[in-house]
Amino acid sequence: MTLKVYGVLQATFTQRVLVVLKEKNVSYEFITVDWAGKTHKAPSYLLNHPFGQFPYIDDDGFILYESIAIMKYIALKYRDQGAPLLPDPGDLKATALMEQACSVEASNFNPFTTPIVIEKYGKPIRGVEPDEEVVKECVLGLDSKLDGYELILAKQRYLAGDSITIADLAHLPTGTIISRVGVTLLEDFTKRPNVTRWWREIYTRPSWQEVVASADAKI
Amino acid sequence: MVFKLFGNARSRPTLRVAHILKEMQVPFEFVAIDVQGNEHKTAEYLKKQPFGQIPYIDDDGFVLFETRAICKYIATKWRGQGPALFPDPSDLKATALFDQALSIEYSNFDNAAVNIAVEKVYKPKYLNKPTDEALVAEQVSKLEAKLEGYEAILSKQKYLAGEYVTLADLYHITFGFYIVEEGGLMLFTDEAKYPNMARWWKDITSRPAWLAVKGGL
Repeated sequence: MTLKVYGVLQATFTQRVLVVLKEKNVSYEFITVDWAGKTHKAPSYLLNHPFGQFPYIDDDGFILYESIAIMKYIALKYRDQGAPLLPDPGDLKATALMEQACSVEASNFNPFTTPIVIEKYGKPIRGVEPDEEVVKECVLGLDSKLDGYELILAKQRYLAGDSITIADLAHLPTGTIISRVGVTLLEDFTKRPNVTRWWREIYTRPSWQEVVASADAKI
Repeated sequence: MVFKLFGNARSRPTLRVAHILKEMQVPFEFVAIDVQGNEHKTAEYLKKQPFGQIPYIDDDGFVLFETRAICKYIATKWRGQGPALFPDPSDLKATALFDQALSIEYSNFDNAAVNIAVEKVYKPKYLNKPTDEALVAEQVSKLEAKLEGYEAILSKQKYLAGEYVTLADLYHITFGFYIVEEGGLMLFTDEAKYPNMARWWKDITSRPAWLAVKGGL
């Protein structure tokens, strides 16, 4: 059976899953969740996802949610096709550094980028005014955390070492949207050359460009 | 060389790492970082932890930060010595469900719990500042909205990742215990409202390793 992804093409957490599927050349069926109609809060949806969020996947009856867990599952299951995206699971230290990098994204990037996405991208779609105070605070927060990124990326090519992992890819969806709404911290080469070098490298991957194109085509 | 934990004796994330070290029966040396003196913001410190946060570890020259990554490393390296706190790595689906449970804690619990802890405990106790009760109420209702999801999961299985306790369960203690014990909130200890979550909470917080470290380092 084909792997099924339940989500929204423009939603950042759905896009994390799609970029890994494309990196791994895994064919899948995409089922759009009608978020405006609140399908994801219906009791039948909650049976598969008790928190009423998206995305989730159904891989021949195996139901899984939470984007990072799904990214890891796909990367492990299809380890031998496409870019590895994870260190050898038997390598204790490399695995620990990959998990450190995933946590860095969750602690030092996403808490600032997701509110910007909500305010400057999500709210206008629904005809709601963005809260510029929240945006300002998050831009300042992100700006200071990127100094840590610069220190890491001055020493190595990617966040977990010299090979790309799911931790790098996890930055793509919100990073792309904040740039589009005018928060260009990732692209300021003179300020943080290594962050920008890294960002350009991951942003231009064909897998990600395909995800962006299908999201844009659907609007 | 002995395993070194760099952190603060009162810091909850530092205590999370100490808890897992106790679970796995790993002897360690605690090295206090002078947080009030901003030692964690110095250039020297940033070489170990580029974001200037605590804690980090040094295991015979291998430096690692971010508590969840550290705890997983400890539970992997000393797997045979304490309880198996995550599934057999060769079991793809069980591993995915464990990763899902880890993300549940991070997405649906951690943020609200940290915010409540800051308002209800840190501010009055350590910073001599008043609690913003409106913010607490907002965060409590945000957290309570998620507890239905927890109750649904824990009514079908004993722990968040299945029938065995994992790191994903134990990570909830770090701030959960704090807001219940010191913040005086009932939340997941409410047996009438969330019977399965209350059963689970009692189970994970009565583990000897936690009882050994909960008072601080």
